[in-house]
Amino acid sequence: MNIANRLAGAVLSAALAISVLLAGCSDSGGATKGEVGKEGQSQEETVTLKFSFWGDTIEKKTVTEALERFEKETGIQVEPMHVPADYLTKLTTMVAGNVAPDLGYLSSGAALSWGRDGKLLNLTPLMENDPDFNKEDYLDQVWYEIDPGNAIGMSTAVEGYGLMYNKQLLLEAGVELPPTEADKAWDWDTFVEYAKKLTLDDQGRNALDPNFNPDKIRQFGLQYDPYNMMAAVVSNGGNFLTEDGKGFGLAQPEAIEAIQKLADLMYVHHVSPTPLQTKNLPDTALQTKKVAMTVSGNWALQAFAEQDFNLGVGVLPKLKVSNTLLDGAPTVIFASTKHPKEAWLLYKYMADPESVLPLIEGGLWMPLKKEWYTNPEKINKWAAGNKAHPAGYTEAFMKQTIENGIRTPGFEVKNLDKINALVTPALDLVWTGKQSAEEALRGVEPKVLPLIEGYYGR
Amino acid sequence: MAGILFALPSILGLIMFVMLPMIASLLLSFTDYRIVNTPKFIGFTNYTRLFDGTDPYFYNSLWVTFKYVILRVPLGLVFSFIAAFLLNMGFIRGKSVFRTIFYLPSIVPAVASSMIWLWLFSPDLGLFNSFLEALNLPTLDWLYSEQTVVPSIVLMSLWGMGSTIIIFLAGLQGVPRSLYEAAIVDGAGAIRKFRHITIPMMTPIIFFNLIMGSIGAFQVFTEALIMTQGGPNNASLFYNYYIYRQAFQFGEMGQASAIAWILFIIILLVTVVFFRTSKSWVFYESEV
Repeated sequence: MNIANRLAGAVLSAALAISVLLAGCSDSGGATKGEVGKEGQSQEETVTLKFSFWGDTIEKKTVTEALERFEKETGIQVEPMHVPADYLTKLTTMVAGNVAPDLGYLSSGAALSWGRDGKLLNLTPLMENDPDFNKEDYLDQVWYEIDPGNAIGMSTAVEGYGLMYNKQLLLEAGVELPPTEADKAWDWDTFVEYAKKLTLDDQGRNALDPNFNPDKIRQFGLQYDPYNMMAAVVSNGGNFLTEDGKGFGLAQPEAIEAIQKLADLMYVHHVSPTPLQTKNLPDTALQTKKVAMTVSGNWALQAFAEQDFNLGVGVLPKLKVSNTLLDGAPTVIFASTKHPKEAWLLYKYMADPESVLPLIEGGLWMPLKKEWYTNPEKINKWAAGNKAHPAGYTEAFMKQTIENGIRTPGFEVKNLDKINALVTPALDLVWTGKQSAEEALRGVEPKVLPLIEGYYGR
Repeated sequence: MAGILFALPSILGLIMFVMLPMIASLLLSFTDYRIVNTPKFIGFTNYTRLFDGTDPYFYNSLWVTFKYVILRVPLGLVFSFIAAFLLNMGFIRGKSVFRTIFYLPSIVPAVASSMIWLWLFSPDLGLFNSFLEALNLPTLDWLYSEQTVVPSIVLMSLWGMGSTIIIFLAGLQGVPRSLYEAAIVDGAGAIRKFRHITIPMMTPIIFFNLIMGSIGAFQVFTEALIMTQGGPNNASLFYNYYIYRQAFQFGEMGQASAIAWILFIIILLVTVVFFRTSKSWVFYESEV
C-alpha cells in the first residue's frame, strides 16, 4: 500500500467516474444490440424482461413465483432482480451505466424526479391503446403523475395506517377498545388518558398515578415512529407543503401543534418511548407486553400475524378530523426498455391483486383494484377471516384508508428527498426533546423555502 | 523494455481504474450532471455553491470530519504505539497469542464490526452502559447524542488498529540492539532508553503511520453509513458520507465530484504540510 494509491482511493469520485466510463462503453454496446434485435426480430424470438424489486424473503418468494407464472402464461422471459438493501444506490448506478432494468419498484422521490427527466415511460399512451385495460378499475389515489397526462406508474401496493394493539393489555387495564369507525375515533385527550392508563412503571403504577416513575417504565402505552409524523399532521388539518405548494406546511400552526403533541407523548406524558428508548424495544414489543398499542402501516400486520398474541386494530386517534395516511411506492417502466409492450403486459399482471394474493392475504399489501374493496366476495379473499386481518380490519384499515386516506408527501411533493435532508435533522431536535416543534421547524423554514418547488401532477 | 512489460498490468490498472476515472470526475465536477441528464458545462458553480453557503451541509460536514481526524489520529498513534510496545516486551508470555488478538479486529469487515458496536453502544442494554452503571457512573447516549457520537466512533476505530500496531511492532524490532547495549553500558535506565533511542529510531514509522492514519481518517465512511446515517442532527455527517448521499441518494453526480475533489485537495495539502515539517523531527539513519 503506497501513499499514491491511498491518495487515489481518497477520491470516491473515481468510483463515480468508472460508472460513467462504463456508461460510455455500454451505451454503444447497448445500441448495437438493440438494432440487431430489431433487424432479426422474428416470431420465435424470446423477449427477456428484467424486473427489479426489494422486500423480505416472503415478498421475494411471492413476487418471484408471480413472475414465473407470467412467464408460463405469456412465453415472455422474466429475469427477477431482487435487491434486499441499498436499492436506490444500485438502481442509480445501473441507470448511470445505461443498464437499467425494464421495469421494477422505485422509491417515490427518485421515480418522480427521474420521470421528470424522461427516464421513465409515460404509461398513459399504453393504457389508452390497451382495450383490456380500464384505468377506472384501479384506485384513483395510487397514481404518480409528473404532469396531468404523464403518469409514470401506480403504487406497487396500497398501504394505510392504523392503530394496532395487544387486546389482553387493554382489557386488563380496563380501557375501552379503540373504535374501528371514523366517526367514533378517540379525540386526543381521551387517547392520552388511555395511553397513560396503559403505561406502567416497574412497580406497576400507571402514568396517572402521582407516584409514577417515568425513569423506570416497564410498559409503554404507545409506540410510534415519530419521524412518521404526517398522520398526526394531516389529522390536525396540516400538510407537508401549504395548499398552494409555495409554503413550508410543517412550519404552519396546525402542523407545529400536531408535532408538538407527538413530542409531548414522550416528554410530558411519558406514554411513548423516546427514539433512544425505542432502540431497546424488540420487534415483538406488542407480544412481549413492552408496548400496549402501536401506530404503523398495514405492512406490520404480516409480522404480527406470525406472533402469538391477541391482536386488535382500530382507527387512529384524531386531532381535528379522523383520517389516515395512504402510503406507497411506485412500480415503473424504464424509458430505456427495448420491449415497452411486453413490459406493460407484465406491469398489468403485477398490478392485479390475483397475481400477488399471498402478499395481500398475508397483510403486507392492500390491493390496487377498486373491486377488492367493495365486492364482499373479493374482500373475503384477503381482508377477513385470516390472522393478519383481525376483526374490525375492514372498517379500521380498509374503509378508512380508501375513504379518508390522505396521500403521503411522496406521491406529489417535488424535491422531497432534499427537503427531508433538512427537515429530518430539525426533527431530531424535537424528538430528542432539545427544542420545541415551533423552534425547530420555524428555525429550518428559511433553509427549506428555497428548495420548495410545489407539487407534481397539478 | 521487459521491465515495463512486466509492470504493464499494474500500469494499465492505474491508468484505467484510477487516472481516467479521476480525470473524468474532475471534468464532471464542472458540469450539471444528475445521472438522468446529459452533463452540461456550468463552470465553477458546483464549487462556488459550496463555499458561499448555498449548500447547507458543506461546512458542517467539514467540521465534523476535522473533529474526527483531530481525535482519531493522535489517539490512534498513541494507542497503537503503546500496544506495540507492550507486545514487544521480552517478559510477556504468549506474545503471539496477544498479537493475534490485537490484529483480529482488522480482519473483521467494517460492516460486521459496526453491527457489533451498535450493540455495545446500545443505551439501555449495551455493554458500555452496563459497565458504567456497575461502577455507579452516569450512562452515556453514545451514538445517539450530538456531543458523543464522534468520540464514540473514534473509540470504535481504535479497536481496529491492528495494521498500525503491526507496523509499529516491525519498527520496534528493527531498532538495533547495539544502541540499547551501548546505552546500558553508559548507565541509561528504561525511560532514558525509550526517550533517546526508541522514540528517535521510530520517528520514520510514526511519520508513516501519521500520514496513513490521517488519510484514512479523512475518509471515514462505513460507520456513518451503517450506524448513524449522519445523525443525530448531522453530527456525524462525515465528508465521505456526504459525498455518497449527494451522489447516490440525490443523484447529483456533478456536485458530488466537486465535493470529492475538495477532499482530495485537502488531503494533499495536509500531506504536504506533514512532509515539510517532517524534516525537523523525523530521523533517518541513512541520512546521518
